Amino acid sequence: MAIDFNVVRAIFRKDMRQYLGNPTGYVFLTLFIATTAAAAFLQDGFFSRHLADLAELNRLMPAILMFFVPAITMSAWADERRWSTDELMLTSPVRDVEVVLGKFLGVVGMFTVSLAFSVAHVLVLYSLGRPDAGLMVATYIGYWLMGTMFCAIGLVASMFTTNATVAFILGALGCAGVVFAGSEPWASGLLGTAVLGLVAALGWYVARGTTKSMGVAGLVGAGLGMLLWLGPNAANDDATSTVATNRFVALFDHFSVTEHVASFGEGVIRLGDVAYFATGVVLMLYLASFLLGRRHW
Amino acid sequence: MGKDDENAEANRVAAQGRSSAGTKNEADHPFRGERERPVTIRAEGITKIYGEFAALQDVSFEVHKGTVVAFLGPNGAGKSTTMRILTGYLAPTSGRAAVLGFDPTDARQRIELARRLGYLPESGPLYRDMTPLESLTFFAELRKLDAARRHIDRVVEQCALQEVLYKPIEKLSKGYRQRVGMAQALLHDPEVLILDEPTSGLDPLQIREVRKLIRELGREKTILLSTHILQEVEAIADEVVFIYDGRIVFSGTKTELAKDASIEERFYELTDAKEVA
Repeated sequence: MAIDFNVVRAIFRKDMRQYLGNPTGYVFLTLFIATTAAAAFLQDGFFSRHLADLAELNRLMPAILMFFVPAITMSAWADERRWSTDELMLTSPVRDVEVVLGKFLGVVGMFTVSLAFSVAHVLVLYSLGRPDAGLMVATYIGYWLMGTMFCAIGLVASMFTTNATVAFILGALGCAGVVFAGSEPWASGLLGTAVLGLVAALGWYVARGTTKSMGVAGLVGAGLGMLLWLGPNAANDDATSTVATNRFVALFDHFSVTEHVASFGEGVIRLGDVAYFATGVVLMLYLASFLLGRRHW
Repeated sequence: MGKDDENAEANRVAAQGRSSAGTKNEADHPFRGERERPVTIRAEGITKIYGEFAALQDVSFEVHKGTVVAFLGPNGAGKSTTMRILTGYLAPTSGRAAVLGFDPTDARQRIELARRLGYLPESGPLYRDMTPLESLTFFAELRKLDAARRHIDRVVEQCALQEVLYKPIEKLSKGYRQRVGMAQALLHDPEVLILDEPTSGLDPLQIREVRKLIRELGREKTILLSTHILQEVEAIADEVVFIYDGRIVFSGTKTELAKDASIEERFYELTDAKEVA
């Protein structure tokens, strides 16, 4: 059965209307533009380098988006469940995957609108000097891909709870996990624990074909992750090493968003980086569909 | 149409054509002489278990075409869970459901069913920041209705929403909100209606209006409506399915239910009997 894009578009349009028909949407927009402007220009580095580029913003963008995007996505599914409107939608002639896609495109749409307004920063650069147009385009493609992946992560977070605040915290934690993985030991540890927990729970479900005791399997997996993360570690016994590390750091070294978004900021669009973000989105949307089917358990 | 769709359609026709065996006391049946009324809603041994808690245990009943059936029971008896299973929102732990011959647990058949089924969930959920017109337009788009405006005009008139069409739903009175929910359920002119406590929280005047609407709809549609209000049964239902503590304790016509005593006395009798057991 093919995906009906009329249904996807109907959900997308409803969500866009809800985001933009609401004062909160404009508060978010203004905050985003103000924060990114401060990150780009209110920095000593920007004026001392005498270069019309967004290098300062590139450095801070992952940290800004990991809070901003979950603020968009937090209500995406949590509110539908809180007001039971999900029951209306899911008893209409629509497939779960169409709902997930419509919801995802809705948050991506709102993020894209916000990002489009921040193009004003590029205009500021043009008034100050002569920025490289190709570099600007590549930089913005990088921002968009990163934000789109965060949208998918935030959507999954929003499906875990009916409380938007909890969804925001879960989403920000998820995004922080992929931002700091590889660079910060705690983030790698957290991500490793979460991934092992999820793999154990899903593995149990696939192997046993039942959701019974699935939570226990997940906890066992997460416990194993914690042990690997915080347990005795040969690398830390090395007297010459002063930096705390753990087994997950090396594993997630290449999974960090920061690493994959960096080349866009240098004007290089690498297929591998695009594939990284696309894979992240697909995996998260699959997980979202799976979570939507959870109501049948 | 794929082969699976054809099979589904064949099953549906077969199920609908099945005779309504099990209807007791044909003489008491409100549709005397129509013994072969097809079954529109069939629940067969439905059990729903949440963790250790059994919300429904072996629930079986039938609703025949063109009847208005009250799904009666105290709060927490399992009415909403049963309705959610019939609409395909939840899946049963065991047992089978068929509505219009479609299996709501099958992804394809559920979609076919959703095209023919109108559902008003418990406490009438709505997009509160939308206006009734926006909300109805959204559901018309979601359902890909041809001539959406015509459908919207019809339900706006049916549910008397003309005055509030452009007001945000969150600013509407409870009565109007419930009517918006009804309009949404009726938008695609469904064959079957499943209404979860359609009059809860309404004042007597609003209740009278909703009941009148349901009676009118009941002339041509099959309706299953849940309620814990006994007067509702008297006012609109042809038949009663009584659920208590996740089990069906009575199923039959209104007259059968109140044969030796009033409906109220029977209500206490059926619920007390289970408590002692």
